[in-house]
Amino acid sequence: MDFDVIVVGAGIAGCVTAYRLAKAGHSVVVVERGAEVGAKNLSGGVLYCRVMDKVFPGFADQAPVERRITRNYLGFLNPDSLVGIDYHDDRLGKPVNAVSVLRAKLDPWLAEQAEAAGAVVMPGFKVDSLLSEGGKFTGIKAGDDELTAHVVVLADGINSFLARDAGLRTKEPLKHLAVGVKSVIGLPRQTIEDRFGLAGDQGAAYAIVGDCTAGAGGGGFLYTNQESISIGVVVRLDDLVGKGLSSSELHDRFVLHPQIQPLLAGGELLEYGCHLVAEGGKAMVHDLARPGLVVVGDAAGLTLNTGLTVRGMDLAAASGIAAADAIDDALQDGNFGQAAMDGYVARLDQSFAGKDMATYAKAPAFLENPRLFNDYGPLLANVLRGFYNLDGAPREHIIPVFRAALKESGLGITRLARDGLAGVKAL
Amino acid sequence: MKVVALYKWARDPEAATVRAGGVVDWGNAKMVAGDDDHAVIEVAKTLAEGGELVGLTLGDGDAAWAVARGVDVAYSVADAPYLADEATTAAIMAAAVKHIGGVDVVVIGDAEQQHPAVPGLLAGLLGWPALSAVGSASADGAKVTVERKVVGNIQTVSAGTPVVLGVAAAGEEAKPPGMMQMLQARKKPVTTLSLADLGVAADQGVTSAGTALPELEGAKMLEGSPAEVAAALVAALRSDGVL
Ligand SMILES: Cc1cc2nc3c(=O)[nH]c(=O)nc-3n(C[C@H](O)[C@H](O)[C@H](O)COP(=O)(O)OP(=O)(O)OC[C@H]3O[C@@H](n4cnc5c(N)ncnc54)[C@H](O)[C@@H]3O)c2cc1C
Repeated sequence: MDFDVIVVGAGIAGCVTAYRLAKAGHSVVVVERGAEVGAKNLSGGVLYCRVMDKVFPGFADQAPVERRITRNYLGFLNPDSLVGIDYHDDRLGKPVNAVSVLRAKLDPWLAEQAEAAGAVVMPGFKVDSLLSEGGKFTGIKAGDDELTAHVVVLADGINSFLARDAGLRTKEPLKHLAVGVKSVIGLPRQTIEDRFGLAGDQGAAYAIVGDCTAGAGGGGFLYTNQESISIGVVVRLDDLVGKGLSSSELHDRFVLHPQIQPLLAGGELLEYGCHLVAEGGKAMVHDLARPGLVVVGDAAGLTLNTGLTVRGMDLAAASGIAAADAIDDALQDGNFGQAAMDGYVARLDQSFAGKDMATYAKAPAFLENPRLFNDYGPLLANVLRGFYNLDGAPREHIIPVFRAALKESGLGITRLARDGLAGVKAL
Repeated sequence: MKVVALYKWARDPEAATVRAGGVVDWGNAKMVAGDDDHAVIEVAKTLAEGGELVGLTLGDGDAAWAVARGVDVAYSVADAPYLADEATTAAIMAAAVKHIGGVDVVVIGDAEQQHPAVPGLLAGLLGWPALSAVGSASADGAKVTVERKVVGNIQTVSAGTPVVLGVAAAGEEAKPPGMMQMLQARKKPVTTLSLADLGVAADQGVTSAGTALPELEGAKMLEGSPAEVAAALVAALRSDGVL
């Protein structure tokens, strides 16, 4: 045996798993395809970080995080209007609940922690296949070299060809996948704080639906960093294909939207990239364990898109904790069979990650509802216009204003009620 | 012979972004292997056969890279910053070579675009002769014989030691080390030197007043049928003097 554990992929899931196992005294190697850790990894950028405190106490104070999110903005964007709910609450920063991060900074830091704990981090090698013997996974193959271990952890991200080859999952249907296109726009710290009404290391997170995706399933996001803004769109692949839209054009449409552009004015493009996002929710989580093998993070399909938040990094960390703890047990017992590896799945189900996946199981179906992306934005704007557009005509009562706007939207009251109920159930 | 191979002593220019106002932003960029560095190790390895092959890197350059390629002893001047000033960079290298001591040949990449002066400055500071554009080399007693490319011709030159060789790679590395070689290399110790040990200061003799990106003209979009687009493209290339 070359190592106790081999981790494939030095993203959040892989680094957290490796760190915990190394800290528990096991020999661990992390094999990462990228020439440098984190260089190509991409997230929108809000990490719900309470889970990180379990691994690194005082995470937000020691890790390279950008801002502490104290302002959440939910917006319906129409071609010429924006209706939003602005939730600004200093309590969200005490204790810190969510932070904005840039993966190019966070991932190398995580890898350094794993290395300091004794793990070997090996960037620049792509794992090509898994080794197995008598029904148990025994190692990996990269180029001509083979490496063996008691347990292999697949933390190789959403495309995880290795999990597919191991027979743990099949090709995902398009509707389980979305594509994200993101830019990082540099702006002076003071400009960001003035524009978004922030002080010190406070941060804002915008989630926006509607015109930013031209009505396709998905949404736009905008997160403040210390001296930059992460902005982009996440759009469901089946809708992109079906509507003949291009994700990069939708990104440009959002960034240049008259309601959004002033927030970015004078900024400089620092980074631009795209990446797949898992959207299938619970339905996408598959078999996660085999003798000698567990799957964590995006490779396990652990992403939640509730419409208000895209979450994957916190779930990646939670699955890393569950996997490390189960593998620690297995190494102590010297047993790596199916039952031992299923210990990971049980721990994951018990964690907030497993519970949240179950809670939001209906979210993907709710988010497939096209009315959410097409109709509700204009409806809200028209109701509000009815109030604020004092055109000299006498004001009407709220009910008729609403009814007129509803009629114009073609939605109907029963449909509205049904969508509302579905939303409450899903979220 | 005792040969020093200098590698990973600069950052990857592709990792840099020029920000508005001309500030160069290196992000988290580390010292990386230059395009010539794999050839540097090859040449150094040939010369060091039967002797000693010493690897030397600056800053956060990863020594395992060279150890996996056959370096026997690894040194790193870990607190050497990345400098625009080539003379100071060469002075740090020269001090390290002197510190290592008893060196017959220093082999370094010819990194033409980035730091063309460093190999020559290093030789000057050491007071040694220098040969540039070296493709391959062999040792013959206390002499080295190199083949180098000069104006399209291959020239064979012999020189006594000590000498500095600037190596230009002919292409990509044929076979980079595998994962196992890299894993083993990680276990080899690295001797860390500091600027204080070497008695050199990393003060820059130059101050950067900023870097400007070349002026770019906006992209033009040609529209129409394929035939029309092709005709418009040819016309545009003609009028811009490309054709
Ligand atoms: C546009 C966008 C916005 C998002 N926004 C958010 C957000 O705001 N908040 C949030 O929590 N989540 C967000 N997510 C989701 C989040 O990015 C992922 O859930 C998270 O990155 C998962 O981490 P991971 O470690 O599982 O996988 P990854 O971060 O993808 O890491 C996988 C690693 O494995 C390596 N690898 C792959 N194959 C191999 C191989 N064969 N051999 C060796 N190495 C390999 C890769 O190079 C990579 O380093 C977003 C995603 C996208 C695309």
